[in-house]
Amino acid sequence: MNRVLLARLIDLVIVLFGVSVIVFLMIRLIPGDAVAIMLGANTEITPERMAELNRRVGLDRPIVEQYLLWAGNALRGDFGTSLWTGRPVAGEILLHLWPTLELTFLALLVGAVLAVPVGCLMAQTRGGAADVVMRVTAIAGLTIPSFWLGIVLILLLSSWAPGFASLGYVPFSEDPLGNLQRMMLPAIALALPILANLSRLVRSAMLDALGQDYVRTARAKGLSERRVVYKHALRNALIPFLTSVGIMTGYLLGGAIVVEQVFAIPGLGRLILGAIAERNYPLIQATILVVTAGFVFVNFLVDFLYIVVDPRVRA
Amino acid sequence: MVRSVLRTALGVGFMAAMMASASAQVLEIGVDNGPTGLDPHVTTAFPSFMVVNGNIYEGLTAIDKDLKTVPGLAESWSISADGKTYTFKLRSGVKFHDGSAMEAEDVVSTIKRVLSKDIASPLASRLSAVDSANAVDATTVEMKLKEPSAALLSSLATIAIVPSSMEANKDALQKTPVGTGPFKFQEWQPNGFILLAKNEAYWDKGMPKLAGLKFNILPESATRQVGLSNGQYALLPNIDAATALQLKGKPNAKLAETMDLAYTLIGMNTSKPPFDNPKVREAVNYAINRQEIVDAALFGAGVPGGPLSPALKSWALNVNQFACYKPDPAKAQALLKEAGVATPVAVSMKVLPRQDIKDIAQVVQEQLNKAGFKVELINQEQGQFIQDWRNSNFDLFASLNAGQPDPDDYFFRTFRTGGSTNVFKYSDTEIDGLLDQARTTQDQAARKAAYDKVQQKLACSGPVAHLTYGTLFSAMNAKLQGYDVMPNRSLLTLRNASY
Repeated sequence: MNRVLLARLIDLVIVLFGVSVIVFLMIRLIPGDAVAIMLGANTEITPERMAELNRRVGLDRPIVEQYLLWAGNALRGDFGTSLWTGRPVAGEILLHLWPTLELTFLALLVGAVLAVPVGCLMAQTRGGAADVVMRVTAIAGLTIPSFWLGIVLILLLSSWAPGFASLGYVPFSEDPLGNLQRMMLPAIALALPILANLSRLVRSAMLDALGQDYVRTARAKGLSERRVVYKHALRNALIPFLTSVGIMTGYLLGGAIVVEQVFAIPGLGRLILGAIAERNYPLIQATILVVTAGFVFVNFLVDFLYIVVDPRVRA
Repeated sequence: MVRSVLRTALGVGFMAAMMASASAQVLEIGVDNGPTGLDPHVTTAFPSFMVVNGNIYEGLTAIDKDLKTVPGLAESWSISADGKTYTFKLRSGVKFHDGSAMEAEDVVSTIKRVLSKDIASPLASRLSAVDSANAVDATTVEMKLKEPSAALLSSLATIAIVPSSMEANKDALQKTPVGTGPFKFQEWQPNGFILLAKNEAYWDKGMPKLAGLKFNILPESATRQVGLSNGQYALLPNIDAATALQLKGKPNAKLAETMDLAYTLIGMNTSKPPFDNPKVREAVNYAINRQEIVDAALFGAGVPGGPLSPALKSWALNVNQFACYKPDPAKAQALLKEAGVATPVAVSMKVLPRQDIKDIAQVVQEQLNKAGFKVELINQEQGQFIQDWRNSNFDLFASLNAGQPDPDDYFFRTFRTGGSTNVFKYSDTEIDGLLDQARTTQDQAARKAAYDKVQQKLACSGPVAHLTYGTLFSAMNAKLQGYDVMPNRSLLTLRNASY
């Protein structure tokens, strides 16, 4: 068990290093540098002033030197300061991380938790009316984009309940009710496709498991159908489910960008989008690294859960 | 049971929301982009300008809603007979948001700050005529100029006065601005909001009436519209015509409009063929049907316009005076023939990434193609566009430019040989002479005569085909009173507003 986890940990470090190098190089390949964008197309600026600004933000040094300097500081926890606002990058990320974490948690809570009973029910009633209805709904849920659903939800709510503050973000600690009010719709918009996806996955894994010999044995022993499904079959059906949840969590942590845009939630997705548009190098580097770390870490957790759920992985 | 709990919870939620809106005096504003820093001498990007200009900071002079230069922090001024010495009398009793008094020394250090190489302010060229500034006493500032500058007073409205302690400080003001304006900085959550509180010690007694301003950053247009309709936001400043049309007649929404100073344009590179030939540039102007652009891309909300905005009533010539503004594809083709270029003339047009500009570029492409050109559109990403623009790496480009209240502010840097934003590499001795003359005289009639000639010449064979001036809309809650839309997109009038 330790060997498997250790290997995963080493993977994690290698991936983070690789990503840091690739991101560093890639964002410098995008045309249009930070200084040009900072000054815009409509200002008056001499080449000397431009050079001065380049020096101020450190863009006049060789790229290898820029990387080493940045990586050295990052290892000490200093991700530099935002080129535009002059505020520490780490602080900005923390500020934006929280809404995204909350949104991820809520969307998974609704989507993943509901997916298990729904998927099991679909498998149990295979071919029946309930199964067909749920499958059709699930396909609809998969094909409707979250941002469209988000806009429709906002519009519906604003006509049914004008005055209901559904946009923007307030921290839970400041105003719990206002926070939940505003997080409700985006969480639903994100949860529906997750629910659709995962319930189909649970259904097929479940159908697979229900056809296995050990299920026949369990039934032959006279166990109740409920116990057969939830105690014996589900455990085996959970492996692909966990993998999917891991990938989705990573995706959500990366910022469900469009949903954050639609609901004006200041999360990581919007932070990355803005940083790229501004060529805010320190901010792009650090946020992508944080998102990658989140992704890799969640997958590491999933690997760990495999071991708990499936004894065969421990070998 | 569950249902009744839910209903109660929702009910409590509504009540809380209603109570919140009843007691709120902070004006909730919905904007599409957040500021990119708050130092008024460093960041000139529009989202920053909208927050700081007139709200947090003030200049020695100010621009009113009719674009006239009026007193700001300077109560009055006098100009010496040779036009080279300006003496400003400052208002007394003005305090910065940190509590310190605003005095002549602060004005002097502000001028030095903007001109210093260290700060690298893009506004420095607005003060290029200033030789020195010194404090005569606590409330008197004397500015000596290298040469007379008719646009100085209007330019000074864009130079925010900051405390002298900030002269060499490059970073503090980007995060925590300290001005003299009616609202003071309170909190900034990047991508979230920026909150300004009422300046209780503001020099104009009784102002502002609002308890504060909260700029909510809402990138999605649909989000802003719904937010206004459901009362969550009270003001959407500077929305485009398409959004305004959608909001027309919506409950809660009231529209205000004015003529925009900013204009859409086609820029031409005069440093290489075929646009080095004035006849080809003239052909472009004859090929373009500006009314068609207004109708097709601006939903009819705008006017065809020449080098100066019709909002500048005392300067702008009527477009009927420009022969080339009457669309005539046959004439355009004849001009191309005269110019001796082989038709169709294959050129590329780089397009600023904004929906209205993309729409306009397509209309122009169609019109030019009918008149003997073969235009290839190149849609670019913002950073790439700016870089190519700066490096004059284009045949044609389609863009949107901000205008200025004084013609000198715009014409000199754009069309003077070697001007700082003369990316077209345009050079014309007659234009240069007229611009120099208009800049250094204080005689209003002489300036007007010079700029009339400049407009006549630029309109048809200049490096820019000016296209349209749009109608600038603001959508607001019907309860918001006293707010006027400014042609330069400043939100300065919010100090008079009540909600």
